[in-house]
Amino acid sequence: MSHTVDIPQELKDSLRKFRFARRSAGSAAIIVKINKQKLIMEEVEQFDNISLEDLAEELPEMSPRYVVLSYELKHKDGRVSFPLVLVNWAPSGSETSLLTLHASAFIDFQQTADVSKVIEIRDGADSLTKENIDSKLGV
Amino acid sequence: MAAPEVFTIAQVPLTAHAFNADRSKLITSLNTNEAQIYGRQGNEWKPEVTLSEHDKLITSIDWAPNSNRIVTASQDRNAYVWSQTTGADGNSVWKPTLVLLRINRAATYVRWSPKEDKFAVASGARAIAVCSFDADNDWWVSRLLKKPIRSTVLSVDWHPNNVLLAAGTADMKARVFSAYIKDVDSRPSPSVWGEKLPFNTICGEYASPAGGWVHSVAFSPSGDVLAFASHDSTISIVYPGGPAVITVRNSTLPYVSLTWTSEDALVAAGHDCQPVLFSGSAEGWKAIGSLDDAKSGAPLTPVSTGSSSGGRFASAGVGRLGTNEAFARFRNADTLGKSSATPGSPVSGGDSSGDTELMTVHQNTITSVRPYEISANGNVAKVSTSGVDGKLVIWNVSVPAGTGGLSSRLGGMHLR
Repeated sequence: MSHTVDIPQELKDSLRKFRFARRSAGSAAIIVKINKQKLIMEEVEQFDNISLEDLAEELPEMSPRYVVLSYELKHKDGRVSFPLVLVNWAPSGSETSLLTLHASAFIDFQQTADVSKVIEIRDGADSLTKENIDSKLGV
Repeated sequence: MAAPEVFTIAQVPLTAHAFNADRSKLITSLNTNEAQIYGRQGNEWKPEVTLSEHDKLITSIDWAPNSNRIVTASQDRNAYVWSQTTGADGNSVWKPTLVLLRINRAATYVRWSPKEDKFAVASGARAIAVCSFDADNDWWVSRLLKKPIRSTVLSVDWHPNNVLLAAGTADMKARVFSAYIKDVDSRPSPSVWGEKLPFNTICGEYASPAGGWVHSVAFSPSGDVLAFASHDSTISIVYPGGPAVITVRNSTLPYVSLTWTSEDALVAAGHDCQPVLFSGSAEGWKAIGSLDDAKSGAPLTPVSTGSSSGGRFASAGVGRLGTNEAFARFRNADTLGKSSATPGSPVSGGDSSGDTELMTVHQNTITSVRPYEISANGNVAKVSTSGVDGKLVIWNVSVPAGTGGLSSRLGGMHLR
């Protein structure tokens, strides 16, 4: 399969560390963007224990991003688990060629991050709510 | 006091017009999908460049004076931003950049913000697209103001603080929105309209007494007062936090465009084919008079319109028979119902001679009035108007002395 965007080794290591970090409370997130000039993916920022509203603030309004989210999920029977969720943050007002690049490299990124659960957010900050994610995760 | 400068640009309606910063160039659209830039040569405007990129009728144009960029909006749901660059052969070329507004209906009106880093596009999609430039991606990004607009947005106007936006819509309301864009604007200082205003906050919603589409809205030069013109022939002035909305009812036809000339005066124009000056304060507003001195318009007697009617009355006016009313009645009997060569003018009501020219300078609805010249004290000294008759007129903002309004002049005519 052809790769449009390269994933550098540091990013892969960063993703592994994020995946195996022990979580005690709160949702953690790692934000990745595509560098259009160099055609590689880069880590933008990492957050420990961030609320969804703050995460929505951090994400750009008009630019696509990949977000690997370690989401604090409270089950009905009282258990708390931290499933890994991949958020495809792709607001429709973003620049078209960047959106296309983002979409083409998404499968690659998903395989590298090794996350099965994917949530698409196409209309911006209004969709990044706890209720929305909980319903997508089947709670 | 000088007479207005009248330019007949075309025989077709001028949908919109805008001048560049030093008023040496004019851009206008002749009711087509192309825009024409004219250059001033003496007393005439000569066509220079044609900007054709739109697929359908251009509905609105604005020229940013400081950054020298033109934005055009069209019924094809797009807007283009045009920048002037010097081409390979040394000539200046206007290069278009498409802005994806993401609306699914025609764009109706567009205006640059005071700092010229954003522009607002009103549309029939019941939304206003506020567009800003994203330097990282080299791309104009648009955000839509939707709630609570229920119908086509007919006009928009920016507040001097570059954040607030007034909009007049066909759901008969004038509203003030906050169009604060996160990485483009700095936090605005609190104003009479409110403070801490995230995007799409409503700072006020106003209507006129009898309702009717709000054709035009404008903030005063300080931004503390809002005026709007509705289809019920009223001009309403809003002082937020002050008295209730002040309404000026007119017995004329509705106004479709207005502009402030100073903090206590504005000029409105519309279906009456003449610009009218209004003045007032928080205590009250009233119409002062028309900027059009009808004496300098088409003459009242039937004989002197020879050129416009193709020489038909060329021989009239000689001897006693020329001014005889009975003679004129029979002579004009065969022109009844025929449209004259004068573009688009209806037979004016009480005119017994069958003369089809209006007494005003403009022969048809004025669709756009804009400030043309700012005087030393910051007030607007001249305004420019364009309309359905294809004329562009530059007026002095002062009511000609002795004009008691057109009605008295008409009354005087019948007494002959």
